[in-house]
Amino acid sequence: MQEVMDMNFEEEVLKNDTPVLVDFWAPWCGPCKMVAPVMEQLHEEYDGKLKVVKVNVDENPEISQALQITSIPAIVLFSEGQPKDAVVGFRPKEAFDQMLAKHL
Amino acid sequence: MQTRYDIIIVGSGPAGISAAVNSVIRNKKVKVFGSKNLSDKLTKAPRIDNYLGFYQAKGPDLAKRFTDHIDEMDIEIDEENVEAVYALGTHFAVATNKDTYESTAVIVAPGVSQKKKIPGEDEFLGKGVGYCATCDAPIYKNRSIAIVGYEPSAEHEVNFMADVASEVTYIPRYKELGEIDERVRVIKGRPKKFAGEEKVRSLQLDNQEIEAEGFFVLREAVALDQLVPGIQIADHHYEVNRNLETNIKGLFAAGDVTGEPYQYMKAAGEGQVAALNAVRYIDNNFQQKKSS
Repeated sequence: MQEVMDMNFEEEVLKNDTPVLVDFWAPWCGPCKMVAPVMEQLHEEYDGKLKVVKVNVDENPEISQALQITSIPAIVLFSEGQPKDAVVGFRPKEAFDQMLAKHL
Repeated sequence: MQTRYDIIIVGSGPAGISAAVNSVIRNKKVKVFGSKNLSDKLTKAPRIDNYLGFYQAKGPDLAKRFTDHIDEMDIEIDEENVEAVYALGTHFAVATNKDTYESTAVIVAPGVSQKKKIPGEDEFLGKGVGYCATCDAPIYKNRSIAIVGYEPSAEHEVNFMADVASEVTYIPRYKELGEIDERVRVIKGRPKKFAGEEKVRSLQLDNQEIEAEGFFVLREAVALDQLVPGIQIADHHYEVNRNLETNIKGLFAAGDVTGEPYQYMKAAGEGQVAALNAVRYIDNNFQQKKSS
């Protein structure tokens, strides 16, 4: 799964042709580690329809602050440059499937 | 490689230990998290008249019979605190204050807690209100935060945040304060509600208002929706069907947490139903697993 940073967020997420699911995380956050395998599953299952990337909030404070990320893990769905939906905290895979079904 | 348990049971009241007994009888590898005292509600009961076969039993006496029962069967209770149960699709990860454990199925039987949330807590969750200060620490570097702690164990996170945030206010909701970093402002007061618009702005106490950029609420008794992220909750209980299945596949609930009546025998009965259905779930879906 691709890592996106402050410097390429606009290009990789906001200007991307397909919707993008962004996982905001940090290495020492337990629930973030639990979300990671779920993101990998989504990355494989939605290949072609959805881009799945992650942003380390510790190394990329600008984008995290601009989006007012106050709790991690935070998983935000972007489409056409806009945040469309978000989930804060761990959720089972089905919850993401349901969220994606509404928007894809 | 880490041990994969068949069934992890969260809770050691009548529901949890009944689930453990029934799972072990069916040769499942179980792990039980709870208290060696089983359950406060049980051990503090002065008299129980409706537990079949134990007319006028005192709570501690009934608890002793339960303990003897699981001792005979070599079922141990692990006293680590379960912080969250994560449904990972193919299996579960159960995170405690010490480690993470894996299992194929989970039975949650944590009982019901009397502690209420602070008004506005749900509304502003993820909008400036959180439950894990150390997790969100990078976000609050050089910003102001306030922490409400319900047990002394919260002090560790308070002192950790004193190194990270520009300003830390601590509102302890217990009596004996331990060693708090001198940079922390300690305030006594009773939380009334969180206020704000898009994001939380302040926490109103009975005697003053605390403004901060982020707030954390730290309690040991984890709220039901935090214990199992993504679980369906109805009327302050886990929503279950007759088989005690929740909306998450492989995750069952038993005892007071599924709703009234809050009775010992109902809890013990549900522990059994949950265990038998968890066993069936494992046998139907993971048959290649050996059951030694």
